Amino acid sequence: MLTRRRFVQSVGIGAAGLTGAWIGARGREGGFLSGLDAQLFAQGLAPTAANPIVLSSNENPMGPGQKVLDAIKAAFGPNGAAPGRYSGGPLVEALAKKHGVTAANIALGCGSTQILRTATHVFTARNRALVGTIPTYEECAGYADMMGHPVRPVQLDANFQMDLNRLADASRGAGLVFYCNPSNPTATYTPARESRDFFSRVHRISPETAILVDEAYFDYVVHPDHETHIPLAVEDPRIVVARTFSKAFGLAGLRIGYVVGHPDAIQKMNAWESAGNASSLNMIATFAATAAVDQGDAFVQAERARNKAVRDFTMKWFSDRGMKPAESQANFMFVNIGRPVKEFRDACLAKGVKVARDFPPFLTHCRISFGTMEEMQYAVKVFGEVTGKTVATAAA
Amino acid sequence: MSVTRRGFFSIVGANKDEPGLAAMIAARGHEELQAAEQAQGGAAQTGRAAGAGQAGRGGGQGGRGGAQGPGRGGRPAPPPGIDEIKISSNENPLGPGKHVLDAIVGKFPEVSRYPFNSAPNETKLVEALAAFNKTKPENVVVGAGSQEILKSAMRAFCSPYRPLVTAAPTFENCTGLARRMNVPLFEVKVDGQLKLDLEGMLTVARGAGLIFLNNPNNPTATVHGAKVVADFVQRVHRISPDTVILIDEAYHDYVTEPTYETAIPLALATPNVFVARTFSKAYGMAGVRIGYAIGQTDTMKPLARVKMPYNVSVFGIAAALAAIGNPQHLAQEKARNTEVRTMTVKVFEELGCKATASNANFIFVDVGRPAADFRNACGNSWVNVGRDFPPFEHTFARISIGTMAEMKRATEVFREVLRPTTQAGGGR
Repeated sequence: MLTRRRFVQSVGIGAAGLTGAWIGARGREGGFLSGLDAQLFAQGLAPTAANPIVLSSNENPMGPGQKVLDAIKAAFGPNGAAPGRYSGGPLVEALAKKHGVTAANIALGCGSTQILRTATHVFTARNRALVGTIPTYEECAGYADMMGHPVRPVQLDANFQMDLNRLADASRGAGLVFYCNPSNPTATYTPARESRDFFSRVHRISPETAILVDEAYFDYVVHPDHETHIPLAVEDPRIVVARTFSKAFGLAGLRIGYVVGHPDAIQKMNAWESAGNASSLNMIATFAATAAVDQGDAFVQAERARNKAVRDFTMKWFSDRGMKPAESQANFMFVNIGRPVKEFRDACLAKGVKVARDFPPFLTHCRISFGTMEEMQYAVKVFGEVTGKTVATAAA
Repeated sequence: MSVTRRGFFSIVGANKDEPGLAAMIAARGHEELQAAEQAQGGAAQTGRAAGAGQAGRGGGQGGRGGAQGPGRGGRPAPPPGIDEIKISSNENPLGPGKHVLDAIVGKFPEVSRYPFNSAPNETKLVEALAAFNKTKPENVVVGAGSQEILKSAMRAFCSPYRPLVTAAPTFENCTGLARRMNVPLFEVKVDGQLKLDLEGMLTVARGAGLIFLNNPNNPTATVHGAKVVADFVQRVHRISPDTVILIDEAYHDYVTEPTYETAIPLALATPNVFVARTFSKAYGMAGVRIGYAIGQTDTMKPLARVKMPYNVSVFGIAAALAAIGNPQHLAQEKARNTEVRTMTVKVFEELGCKATASNANFIFVDVGRPAADFRNACGNSWVNVGRDFPPFEHTFARISIGTMAEMKRATEVFREVLRPTTQAGGGR
């Protein structure tokens, strides 16, 4: 298992270099414990409120993998200075190959955050609303609101799934439908075929409406009817697909994402966002992301399997105690803990486990990201102590 | 410098003395790439992607980073043993220094964490930048490069009814945005000394949303003193109190003009004025994309509102903190640049070519012929100088200051290229 501690070894810094080079840079000893490491546990450095297990941001707790770390290490040698390394070119080319599209189908962003904002900017207006579920990842709605563009919120159904009927109705005359699948914060998933039918329906009802499919958690889906909508997007300028390196690829800290779509849609987005976004892309990110893509599918497959095991363990723990989470196809879950989530969160943090913020209107539901198996084994003990449900009940 | 780098590589265990990471972070050519993209609009992305892709990944024939920037198109790679000298893009040729590279290494274990979950996080960076500039965190907004700051300013303060006042020539970022955003645009040509024509700008200031004041000005390299800037601000606000004045001090750390001072204290004392700074120039970190704005809280609020969330990477946070923690490194870079700049200007003087009074890491020099001709002639000897800067493209070239070794070789090429034609037959 590649632990955080081993990150440093793998990038070529021995134990001696480690203490000197990066604890100094961190400014506080032990700061690298945020990801937790079994070895360091063994040294008695337990998580604390100041240094918790972080289960609040849907990150990959394992990091980006050996090949990417090797590639970053290679940045120290001549390869880092290789031509084109500070344009996004090599990454665009690698992504085009991965998805079987051309460079004209892709734009890069400073995280998918920038992509979501740009799409909202380009496709909504004062008279062309943004349509999205509540709750959802708020980037698009927040941006539309800031711009003074109307937002049409649509409630989820009783199972925390996107209500496609109501979503389609709301899309009439809208500028953009934000379609986050799997959905954040609920982790629920709409199968590929239903999604395709939904897109067709939106375009029957409202031919001018664009659809932004956010596939941030795509790599964590294990549902059998699971496929990307990139092939639809490259054919239809009204559909764009956002992807990120912040989730399964484990590069949230480097801020890099991308959008795939029809050249006309990409052109439109680039025209707003300084033509290619290179003004906001940091170069180590493009270098690392290129290596992440070039390593092929095996890394993501392994991460998906690892996450599934942790997900099954954690969800069973809650279900066994009468707290059944929404069906999760992501690296987090949304669960009714039967008490105000703020109290739960504060109590967990006091015991060294950090869960996510509030997602109104669900004030007793908590979003919990999946850490490593070791982290979750520790975390469920804390959840048990805080909820008083330390043992499984027949009521489940 | 090279000794320092070797030391660094022995620490990280790399066995080459090629400063790869430093080169990537310094991102020499970044400004040129940006300008090309912005000039060509969205189409540049595709072309760049394809071109740079070949260069970066094909390994062989394309391997010269050429794909960045216009005017270098079909030229073949230099012969073995000859390095291209890239003095077209105003980045620090030496990169950020060991302290910054070490700080980046220190962040490796946090690459999978969002910047706000890392330690130190973005809040710490804002606090440190505030302390560095003797002010409070609420007076600072960070950007993914100062270009995000400029873009935010255009969005926050300009509209189809609130024009942009800028210079010609100057850094084109705001100008390009104004065109894309249908913002009325006043481009005021620089004065006879190629300094920003503040009187001219004042005549169109009334009702403007934003005045972009690049001091020192890119590409003309000229600077205005502190009192002149303060007077200008006062006069603008007398006739147009709501107009926001953006003073872009990207080249602040290279200024040698004694009457110059940063406008940060002015901005902190005056409503509707703010200063933009960047880590892309003297700090040698164009590749990590960090800039910031400083001004009164009420001026910062609209910028904070449109700021992109999580816009600075974990590496960026650590790199910027390390950079501001080492003022001595910056002082060395300034001294180095001044020495090389003086040498370069002297060579042009000997050649009868007058440069403006440079206060930056580039010079703007009258080469007495179209910049394109000069650029192509230098390019034939693998020296790449700056792009065209209308309306001065018929006589002026912008030349960035590289290392002393680079500029020694470059000035030899300039001597060849600028040799009077009457002597050409008698030469070598």
